[in-house]
Amino acid sequence: MKQLIRKADVILFIVLIAVGLAASAVLSVHSGSSTDAKVVIKSGGRVYARYPLSEDAELEIPAPGSAGSSASSETDECTHYLNYNVVSIKDGRVSVSKASCKNQVCVRHGSISMPGETIVCLPNRLVVSIEGDEGGGYDSITS
Amino acid sequence: MTQSPRNHSSLSTSFIARVGLLSALALIFSYVEAIIPYSPAVPGIKLGIANVVTVIALYKFGSKDAVCVSVIRIVIAGLLFNGLFGMLYSLAGATLSLAGMIGLKYTDKFSVVGVSMAAGVLHNLGQLLVASALIEDLRIFIYFPVLLFSGIAAGILVGVAAALILRSLIL
Ligand SMILES: [Zn+2]
Repeated sequence: MKQLIRKADVILFIVLIAVGLAASAVLSVHSGSSTDAKVVIKSGGRVYARYPLSEDAELEIPAPGSAGSSASSETDECTHYLNYNVVSIKDGRVSVSKASCKNQVCVRHGSISMPGETIVCLPNRLVVSIEGDEGGGYDSITS
Repeated sequence: MTQSPRNHSSLSTSFIARVGLLSALALIFSYVEAIIPYSPAVPGIKLGIANVVTVIALYKFGSKDAVCVSVIRIVIAGLLFNGLFGMLYSLAGATLSLAGMIGLKYTDKFSVVGVSMAAGVLHNLGQLLVASALIEDLRIFIYFPVLLFSGIAAGILVGVAAALILRSLIL
């Protein structure tokens, strides 16, 4: 074999790192913090609901296609649906506290609190994200 | 590569045996990775040690071997332990990374490490594209930088391992 690392490797490495740094710089500009943030819950590509980040809530979101499977009476378990995610909003932080999905990536993700941050549950096609103040345009200077 | 004297059938016996063996080896690596408990903050961050076998197959035997080994490995790993979702993501990632690897190797300007680094990045990019299509939300691209950096790191590690193995392989 030839040498372990060649000139083109180094160039490619630098280019990739530069792309990554540029991308994270762009993304961080678009996610400035804001006081009037909203929690946007998308299910199967459609906006399911919007909630204020400031109010504590516990929401059960059915996965697309499994709505109303056995939504009978008040059972103490929160499995009214075959596939679901429970989204908790508490003290300005959002997390998925419970989910029917097998990999539990969404539950292990932990909580988010900054605009632009996202929790995704791929099996249930759920996206929970925080949206900043829409009217503000670019992030206004807040302390 | 050994030239088979009876090459009238498109799939020679040695090819089938070799791909079967390499796929089994890659599957073991996939399994080891699947049972290691880890909880990434971002879905999709993986070392991808099975790709060591893909890289070696590509350099030692050619692109046909590499494609077969990686597709067989992903389908079986999907059926056995990664699940259909995992299979879908892996296939998307593998398609992009194989195309990239074959292309970069063809230019003959990159080392095994560089080719593998590109493959690691493309693998994560493919998965991200599938995820964004499934979820129909481009906001998932907030994971792009993390997946890019982790793809670089994983790709380099895999590449160094593959390069060292290739160097000491006597085939
Ligand atoms: Zn989930």
